Amino acid sequence: MSRVFAAARRGRTAGAALLGGLALVAGPPQAPDVDALLRRLDDLYRSTSSIARIELAVSGPRVTRTIRLTAWTRGEDEVLVVIEAPPREAGTATLRVGQNLWNYLPRIARTIRVPPSAMLGSWMGTDFTNDDLVKESSLRRDFVARVDRRSDAPAGWWLSLAVKPDVVGRWARIDLLVDDEGLPVEERHFDRRGRLARTLRFDEVQTLGGRRLPTHMTLVPEDGEGRRTEMRYLAIQFDVAISDDTFSLSRLERIR
Amino acid sequence: MAGGTTLRIAWRNLWRNRRRTGLALAAIGLSVTLVLAYDAILRAYGDWMVETITGPMVGHVQVHTPGWRTDRAMDRTLEDVSRTVDAIRRDPAVADASARVYAPALAALGDEGFGVVVLGLDAGVESRPMRLLSGATVAPAGRRVLVGRALAELIGIRAGDEIAIVGQGADGSLANDLYTVAALLDTSVDLVNREAVVMDLAEAQALFAMPDAAHEIVVHARDARQVPALLGRLAGSPRLAGAETLDWQALAPELVSLVSLVRVAGFVTLVLVFLAAAAGVANTMLMSTFERTHELGMLLALGVSPARIVRLVLAESVALGLVGALAGAVAGLTLVAITHRTGIDYAALTGTGPSAISFAGLRWSMVFYPRLDMADVLAAVAAVLVTAIAASAWPAARAARLEPADALRD
Repeated sequence: MSRVFAAARRGRTAGAALLGGLALVAGPPQAPDVDALLRRLDDLYRSTSSIARIELAVSGPRVTRTIRLTAWTRGEDEVLVVIEAPPREAGTATLRVGQNLWNYLPRIARTIRVPPSAMLGSWMGTDFTNDDLVKESSLRRDFVARVDRRSDAPAGWWLSLAVKPDVVGRWARIDLLVDDEGLPVEERHFDRRGRLARTLRFDEVQTLGGRRLPTHMTLVPEDGEGRRTEMRYLAIQFDVAISDDTFSLSRLERIR
Repeated sequence: MAGGTTLRIAWRNLWRNRRRTGLALAAIGLSVTLVLAYDAILRAYGDWMVETITGPMVGHVQVHTPGWRTDRAMDRTLEDVSRTVDAIRRDPAVADASARVYAPALAALGDEGFGVVVLGLDAGVESRPMRLLSGATVAPAGRRVLVGRALAELIGIRAGDEIAIVGQGADGSLANDLYTVAALLDTSVDLVNREAVVMDLAEAQALFAMPDAAHEIVVHARDARQVPALLGRLAGSPRLAGAETLDWQALAPELVSLVSLVRVAGFVTLVLVFLAAAAGVANTMLMSTFERTHELGMLLALGVSPARIVRLVLAESVALGLVGALAGAVAGLTLVAITHRTGIDYAALTGTGPSAISFAGLRWSMVFYPRLDMADVLAAVAAVLVTAIAASAWPAARAARLEPADALRD
């Protein structure tokens, strides 16, 4: 989820590639400099701040629903997500500061901190977990990357990222397809037992917020029997001024 | 010679040596009582285990949507449950049936969330004796919920507190509301004490956006022995088409192996008890018949046919066996009937021991209710009777084959 809200926040592929896309000069079929690519992915995507409007479509074999939200991010550690629709959930907010995650529930006017035991639970009924929201990870810092092979359709490179031994996280390996423009196409997440756990696909590359980036992503969990969560950026602003108190509990409770 | 005369003589013989008759009757009667008492205790163990397992939580039969037991997904619901439950209750073998909602959620007293399971259930049904809420002081109703005691102690919840419950509805939407803790809950199921917030079924259905739906229907049979037939009827019923219908053996296989282990061990002991009882009967009958070799030799010398002597002794031992076994059965049944009503409290017998033990995630009371099956009574009576007859027939036949002179010398 984080990557969705945080076009600018995290050093993860998605965001990094979004920003990196413009800067990358396509040079196929020469293998890319992985370290430079990852640094760009990690660093370029860390804008100082962003505000994004996002639509999530969660579909399962039995239920489909759509959520619209606005996400504010600043730096690596601060995220605020406020749900705008559907009406039943409007005003519900999630605040992340560092490793802490709080949900604000306007219906009962309560703020509740999400405990570590619930981190792998679903975030707001999507296929993203609370952990996705909190996990502050950097491809370059947490993984050892190498170019795996050339991809023809789409033209690009498969990178294979193996987690470093001392890093605690859900994924043991991430296979990442980056096209020759430097934009992410697909990410495959493998769990600690080496099984493919979920796939994230990127498409609908457009210019949004002054950057060329995939505006649509689809997350498909392997064990989800037809479940998927799609997200679409409706608008993004980068490097806008966001006041300090945006990422505070008191602000969280004044959202409505 | 007519059988009637033989019987009359046999009857008179019994009264001639009252000490011998009394000893034989006592041996036979005590054996039957002993075997029946042990059998009844064995059945009490079996009932106790099955009841402890099925009574509060598992039930005899459960109905789910396929897949729910694996992933416990909120949206794997059974629909139209109130009518389905009504239909199940109409089965004559069903003692009770009710629907449950299981929803993972966060519970918070202040701003700290704790992972819990909201258990929505029919408080009326589940408050009956031996059911999940049988020990609860108040029933959950509306906005008033019960919180498992261990969970409450972890979070710091006390009766009267207001807690927030946040979870995900069956439609994927956000479920959240405030509830008052009516009381803390002690059940015999550890998992419930440690994880559950117990809520009225209708309230849980409203909170989790699943009108008239549930994750589980739990069914208790009037008698555990009716479960296989009941399971067959439920699985075949059109209202449950497409649902997964399982009995408790399939739901709790680890507990089933425990039960069968105890049963096998108990049966081995029952066989030993029976052998000891039979040896006592056989010994008594053998000795009392051998004792009469001289008397039987006299009859032979007087010209009574050997076959008739054997018939005479057999008639005596049948009479002895019948009277002794029936007396023993009456004594055994009385004993079992009394202890069945009062129960045998092992905790009281051990004095300072605990009144219940925790094992396999369940709390097991130490009170047992002995019970007998009529088939068991008949089997015990028949087995003791056969032993008594065989143990007297053999020495009688031996004596009858002797030369009268040899027999008289004995």
